[in-house]
Amino acid sequence: MIKFIAVHKFFGALAALTDVNAEVKKGEVVVVCGPSGSGKSTLIRTVNRLEEIQSGSVLFEGKDVHAKLRGSALNHLRSRIGFVFQSFNLFPHLSALDNVMLSPMKVNGVKRSDARETALRLLDRVGLSAKAQNYPAQLSGGQQQRVAIARALAMEPPAMLFDEPTSALDPEMVGEVLSVMRRLARDGMTMMCVTHEMNFARDVADRVWFMDAGRVLETGAPGDFFRSPQHPRAQRFLSDLHTR
Amino acid sequence: MSLLPSMIDIVRDNWLLLLVGQYPNGPLGGIAATLILSVLGIALAFPLSVAMALASLSPWRALRWPVMAMVYITRGVPLLLIILWVYFVLPLLIGHSVPAFATMLVTLVGYEAAFLSEIVRAGILALPQGQMDAARALGHSHLGAMRYVILPQALFNMIPSILSQFVSTIKETTLGYIINVPELTFAAGQINNRLLTKPFEVYFILAISYFIVCWSLTQAINMIERRIAARRTASVAAESAMPATAASASGA
Amino acid sequence: MAVLLNPEFSRMLVHGVKMTFIIFIGSWLLAMSLGMILLAVRMLPGRIASGFVAIYVSYHRNVPTLVQLMLWYFGISSLLPGSVQMWLGDHNGEAVFAVVALGLCQAAYFSEDQRSGLRAVPRGQWEAARALGHSYVGAMTYILLPQAVRNAMPALVNHTVSLFKNSSLAMAIGVAELTHAVKEVENQSFRPFETYLIATIVYLVCSLLLMWLGHYLEQRSRMAGAV
Repeated sequence: MIKFIAVHKFFGALAALTDVNAEVKKGEVVVVCGPSGSGKSTLIRTVNRLEEIQSGSVLFEGKDVHAKLRGSALNHLRSRIGFVFQSFNLFPHLSALDNVMLSPMKVNGVKRSDARETALRLLDRVGLSAKAQNYPAQLSGGQQQRVAIARALAMEPPAMLFDEPTSALDPEMVGEVLSVMRRLARDGMTMMCVTHEMNFARDVADRVWFMDAGRVLETGAPGDFFRSPQHPRAQRFLSDLHTR
Repeated sequence: MSLLPSMIDIVRDNWLLLLVGQYPNGPLGGIAATLILSVLGIALAFPLSVAMALASLSPWRALRWPVMAMVYITRGVPLLLIILWVYFVLPLLIGHSVPAFATMLVTLVGYEAAFLSEIVRAGILALPQGQMDAARALGHSHLGAMRYVILPQALFNMIPSILSQFVSTIKETTLGYIINVPELTFAAGQINNRLLTKPFEVYFILAISYFIVCWSLTQAINMIERRIAARRTASVAAESAMPATAASASGA
Repeated sequence: MAVLLNPEFSRMLVHGVKMTFIIFIGSWLLAMSLGMILLAVRMLPGRIASGFVAIYVSYHRNVPTLVQLMLWYFGISSLLPGSVQMWLGDHNGEAVFAVVALGLCQAAYFSEDQRSGLRAVPRGQWEAARALGHSYVGAMTYILLPQAVRNAMPALVNHTVSLFKNSSLAMAIGVAELTHAVKEVENQSFRPFETYLIATIVYLVCSLLLMWLGHYLEQRSRMAGAV
């Protein structure tokens, strides 16, 4: 469903992504890991074109995301890709329910009553139906992130992207967000996650991609990758994790 | 001081003139005209300023440059000279003469819009980039994101600055005196011309009147600012810094 | 530009520019020094001193500048003894009142700018200075005020440009500065477009120069690595 073909990206003279070739198949859960600065966030942000690329192509459902698209075509494409940010980015001037309802109504033209029904159902699915009328400022980090996931799901996307969804959370709240993500994966959602949560990767991922210095150096099933990584830098990364 | 009783006398004898000018025997003037001019000025300038702010942030030079030019000119040229320009140009554009009040209103709308557009622009830029990212990621268009996500927040945060600009507008209405706009300063001038012997009392009353109006508004603004700040510090995200609500640089 | 070619008109305009600068520089000097004095007074112990400054600032910020000018020129002058009034009448009294009124008004803004600049210096600076043994005056002179001035620069520059533009208000009390000259020339030459354009260009160029100068000074005084 998501295909990277010879993707190169530069920030000025700095090569952020170099020759990335990889694919996320439908129904697959892919976890992207690697040291900081390896380009993981940059890579995932190219999928819905929050970052531009200089050469290569990124395909979503067969369509080139970085082609010369009309504004409305790009907006439509983005509405079909769910994105969850590290810093949640909930809209502070709207209640949790309004946050989830807004975009189906204004972008997809869904009727208010239908949007409301869907929103309540999704908030319930992430365990927050009691907080529907609360504003983001009144919610904990973990609760905000769960609302953010519900907000993305409300657009009924075929795929969800997660950019370090738990990195900004206090440790005791990481679990509640991960369990929402686990359920999503179990229900068959196509997911691409950038995360440091290796247990999540081990339990839930179908494939793990290891990135360093802008390249995808190794891909494999989690069992194989965590037990016996092939690439020397992957080996060093995993041993650094374990010595903590 | 014998000044105080004479001031009280002047106010008692002329309060109607100060309040509404020569209405109904002439155009509406006095404090009423000042306030109407200010309120209309800001109210009409506001939508224009939002459009200008959005234009100044757009990627097209054809939109950005005219706005930046207009802002630079209003910031670099005295309001008095701008009033003289409008007084001269407006009748030419319209085809017949324009009453001073309308001329002043048109000038104020353009002038305030330029200053307000900078305030709105600052408010938009002060929001964290993540808000725009999230809105675009959900599929909103740029204008849709502005309308539903960015502007509601930016404008709310800038309410104290916008109200500050309103207080400045009240002070700027005094410049209408140059083209004989019937407002409070003009009314005071009329009283002085009649009395001739008590200029200090008349102008002191004038100063105090403006002081009372502007000071009360400023106190109200401070209260509003405190409530907005309290509401924002409750917000979990420490992402945004409070935009400064400095006194308007127009300082007239 | 027929207006400029006419010697009478260009003389009036040049004189106008000269007056504008006299008013501007005179009031700026008054405002800057008075602003610093006000700041010093404000920091004196006791409620009276800071209360007085607070009222001073509040008055000058809430009363329109034009009204302040009028109060000085029409109002306060009438309270002065007759001999002083006559002396002022002979010696460009309007310009004197303009400089005084504008200077006192802007002093309020300048002192507030400097005060904000001082408040923006982190408290730790003061504590470190005293911990090293500096006296109050020493800490102020070497550590706090230099930082305060740098912090206050943008606001001071902005208000300086405002002061420059406000010089045009002096025309309301008869000072023959540029805007006044422009109106006179326009009355006599019946060429409003040209005359207004010349004045506009002069003001714009001077304002931009002031802003550029301010920016340059800010850059020069920037502390290495500071935001």
